[in-house]
Amino acid sequence: MKYIPFFGCMMTTKYPWFEAAVRKTTAVIGMELVDIEGFTCCPDPIYFQAYDKIDWYTIAARNIALAEAVGHDIITTCSGCTATLSEVNLTLKKDMELKDKVNKRLKKIGMKYNGTINVRHAVTVVRDDIGFDRVAETVTRPLNHLKVGVHYGCHLLKPSHVMNVDDPDHPTILDRFIEATGAKPIHHEKTLLCCGRACMTDSISSNMVVDILESIKANNADCMGLICPTCFDEFDTGQIILGRKLKRNFSVPVIYSFQLLGLAQGMTLEEVGLNMHKVKFDKILEAVPA
Amino acid sequence: MSVENIQKINFEFREKLNSVAEGFRHNFCYQCGACVGDCPANNYSGTFNPRIILLKALLGMEKDLISPDSEIWNCTNCYTCWERCPQDVRPIDVIIALKNLCQRLGQAPDIIHKISNSVMESGITTTVTSATVRRREQYNLPPVRDYAVDEIKKIIGSK
Repeated sequence: MKYIPFFGCMMTTKYPWFEAAVRKTTAVIGMELVDIEGFTCCPDPIYFQAYDKIDWYTIAARNIALAEAVGHDIITTCSGCTATLSEVNLTLKKDMELKDKVNKRLKKIGMKYNGTINVRHAVTVVRDDIGFDRVAETVTRPLNHLKVGVHYGCHLLKPSHVMNVDDPDHPTILDRFIEATGAKPIHHEKTLLCCGRACMTDSISSNMVVDILESIKANNADCMGLICPTCFDEFDTGQIILGRKLKRNFSVPVIYSFQLLGLAQGMTLEEVGLNMHKVKFDKILEAVPA
Repeated sequence: MSVENIQKINFEFREKLNSVAEGFRHNFCYQCGACVGDCPANNYSGTFNPRIILLKALLGMEKDLISPDSEIWNCTNCYTCWERCPQDVRPIDVIIALKNLCQRLGQAPDIIHKISNSVMESGITTTVTSATVRRREQYNLPPVRDYAVDEIKKIIGSK
């Protein structure tokens, strides 16, 4: 099946190895990614939405309209892009007045939003279109001894009746994704806690990050597994910065879901970019068969 | 206590809030507090409280809400309050409407301008560096494309 990938700003510029992992692993499980020209920032659901919601709807609608013209669904690989593009798409599909308002603006550049495609996070597509059984069949190196502390992040799941992905209080999608790689998903007390990135006061988000990392350690997970490059930023680089500030060594490596799948499909540490992470992953992989 | 000393509701502010996308939702809040219990910013700050923010909106307490230091900027944007609200007020959407109002009134913190300017001037929120170009080559990824800034400029900002 064909999909138009929307990798977003953070992954494209800062964490390109995540993009590489998505491209390589989705090809193996039978998803065909069709790249198109002209995407911009989704735009950012926190700061840009806070700037002007109608501008936010309009730029997002332009991105969706580009994909509509080609005729395949968009897959997102960042929770922020998912928040913006899914919410805007589903809102505009229902709110005709808003759709007209947005289309009046898009007309200036000769474009139109029609509401003919869907926007879904890549893990949702993997679950619903491919199936985790099929994913498991592509695993050549099951990560049997790896315990992955699950971090869902907020925007894949909520608002649930907009996203329609999973139960926001008892989600299973990421657990099942991790299980398909042979690894063991570990739920912990802070599995569903926000990474805190959007908070203006640093101490609030720092305390959330510390609690999440401690919760993962307390439940004896080897690493943390997630689906969003912004959460990743908060927990990988953020963990180092916090560790220096608090004079503590958390040592919780962080892995993006498609990197995990890449390892399970036999790719090397370097191929999926795990060597690029600030919190090193090497020791954990000693437990994984070569 | 004389009647003159009673604080009056600032309906003018509420009208302003109604004029911003999703701002009208504040009118339907009946102050049940369902939004508070699972709010991470509330749990971690002790001061951020979506119910109180909605109450201040209902009373029209503009000074408290519309400023770069307002409590509204501590919202984590997690959408849990939207999940919990039995009235479909979507407290987060009211908070975003308040943020939009801050921006219109010149009261948004610098980061809002920094990020929105980046989107409007370069099409993205991050920067394409030499490391970006080099790493994309290293991972055999297609080069970064043009970000259609001209088109963005044409479709934003009109009323």
